Amino acid sequence: MASVVLFVLVLVLLLIGTPIAIALGFSSVIVILLFSDDSLASIALKLFEAMEHYTLLAIPFFILSSAFLSTGGVARRIIRFAIACVGHFRGGLAISSVFACMLFAALSGSSPATVVAIGSIVIAGMRQVGYTRDFAAGVVCNAGTLGILIPPSIVMVVYAAATDVSVGRMFMAGVIPGLMAGVMLMIGIYVAARIKGLPAQPWAGLREILQSGGDAFWGLLLIVIILGGIYGGIFTPTEAAAVAAVYAFIIALFVYRDMGPLKERRWRHDDESIPAAIVRNIALTLVYFVPALVHRDTQKTLLEAGRVTLMLMFIIANALLFAHVLTTERIPQGITDAILSAGLTPWMFLIVVNLLLLAGGQFMEPSGLLVIVAPVVFPIAIELGIDPIHLGIIMVVNMEIGMITPPVGLNLFVTSGITGMSVMAVVRAALPWLIILMVFLVMVTYIPAISTFLPNLMFGPQIVN
Amino acid sequence: MLSKIINRLEESVIAFLLAAMTIITFSQVVARYVFNTGTVWALELTTFCFAWLVLFGMSYGVKIGAHIGVDAFVKMLPKPTQRVLTLIAAACCLGYAVILFVGAWEYWAKIYKIGIEAVDLPIPRWIPYSILPIGLALLFYRFAEATYLIVTGKRATLAASHESEEAVHEHAEEIKREAHMDLGGGTGGGTGSEPDTRSSDPPGKDPDPRA
Repeated sequence: MASVVLFVLVLVLLLIGTPIAIALGFSSVIVILLFSDDSLASIALKLFEAMEHYTLLAIPFFILSSAFLSTGGVARRIIRFAIACVGHFRGGLAISSVFACMLFAALSGSSPATVVAIGSIVIAGMRQVGYTRDFAAGVVCNAGTLGILIPPSIVMVVYAAATDVSVGRMFMAGVIPGLMAGVMLMIGIYVAARIKGLPAQPWAGLREILQSGGDAFWGLLLIVIILGGIYGGIFTPTEAAAVAAVYAFIIALFVYRDMGPLKERRWRHDDESIPAAIVRNIALTLVYFVPALVHRDTQKTLLEAGRVTLMLMFIIANALLFAHVLTTERIPQGITDAILSAGLTPWMFLIVVNLLLLAGGQFMEPSGLLVIVAPVVFPIAIELGIDPIHLGIIMVVNMEIGMITPPVGLNLFVTSGITGMSVMAVVRAALPWLIILMVFLVMVTYIPAISTFLPNLMFGPQIVN
Repeated sequence: MLSKIINRLEESVIAFLLAAMTIITFSQVVARYVFNTGTVWALELTTFCFAWLVLFGMSYGVKIGAHIGVDAFVKMLPKPTQRVLTLIAAACCLGYAVILFVGAWEYWAKIYKIGIEAVDLPIPRWIPYSILPIGLALLFYRFAEATYLIVTGKRATLAASHESEEAVHEHAEEIKREAHMDLGGGTGGGTGSEPDTRSSDPPGKDPDPRA
């Protein structure tokens, strides 16, 4: 009874346009008032407790570091490097766009952010050399979803927090699937380009690869710091995120100088000698360090990151409340018993998980959906002997696909926003590439080694307790 | 005028709390590796900043329309129906704020009366937790304001459809500006291996995708 009320309420509230966080929170509160004796005080306290969760503390830091590096300037450097590397293949610009999305995903934990940053530059570029708008938009819309699969990923942090697996393991587990999905999209593009006779860019030369690579290097070092720091045991994932945020601040304001007091200042004037330039730049950095901390651009970035943080955490806090109601109503146990007694085999169960998440992804923000679904699905998966890390990657890939399936895929909206196409037109444009990602989902679901090989190699086998 | 000051205040608090969290956590890492020390209460202070950021900020999020929701279904309906459904949704939001405010007040009054201390910080627990009733009261206020704006027809929806709505608008404008600058002709060649300092240049300078 309680569970029926709960789910019907949430669905109705979501459909009439209530903010997701309130839809989750309000229906949980109503069910608690009607069916349980939890005090109101303990419910309110749950809101506060969400922010005392050590793993979730990584989220604001990852958002901040990606806010510093999600600027057009960084996206341009990455795109330039990507074009230098793979632009000379047939369909080179589209392949470069996928590569650029993969690289950018390593700086940003969000898919829509990846689509905006890369898409707003490459779609125009592709159209100018003769790609159709549909082709360009479809490619970027799909490749942008890699944002949550390639670490660092906010969705993975949420999964780790909801199920108590290690964030470091989840990040490592995302590396191979992320590369695989990207390469599969690239191969698909190459084949399509051969058939359609799409143009290739001229080979830019090794020098251009090295130059653009050196330029993009500072941004890409971020992922090395995060993964290396966690793997080497130098810091916890939460600390790694904070270090990443500080690093991103320094890179954005003092190295790339896309924003802040040193914006537009050049590293070396035309006739300046190298020692003079070094001295001048060190002096500049020292003099402007404190001003940079309080500069308008820094404040703007902090506020922007704060806005995303509070929006996301408000959803997660309410989703935790929702998950709490699920648990007190013993809904996960009920479902576990039903599924186990129905004699579902692991692979059938995984199909159910896929369908559930694809459907849920229509209405819910990925992080919120994970918080709700994980406590239901996780115990069953453990019971059936499915690796928790593997399950996590399956869930993340499902979220990815949920972002590009109509009617309510986030990336569809974002792509429609940056191209001016209607959402339906983007859906049609994205469809051929969506099929590739579907094939990828099947592979990830039924070949556990894709997800578990790297984390098991680096951290030793996962111990299920 | 007053609303401008309040807006500035809200934005500054959010930016400051996020900066404080980052600096505290970062300096803990530095302290551990460089000075081989650490502070017991740093983590608790960080989580309090985090809680303040979210609980204080949630009302600001309502004001600027940052909270996301699903508007695809509502948008398919005729305008008057849309308005009725949005007002029902607004009533639920107000109900949520009221119920949780009552709970928050009960909890806060209790710990205020008992006067227990925080775990690591040497302050009474009611100080950090005061953000619960305050934040929820502000949330109620902002939802009431939004409801008023919807009734008077000055605001259409309660929620944004996705988190990057603002970024999309910004980029759309940036593209327009750049398209304009392109006509003036970008003069940039490669600047060697040094990081590019002119972010306002047209995209992809060297292997110009528009070539």
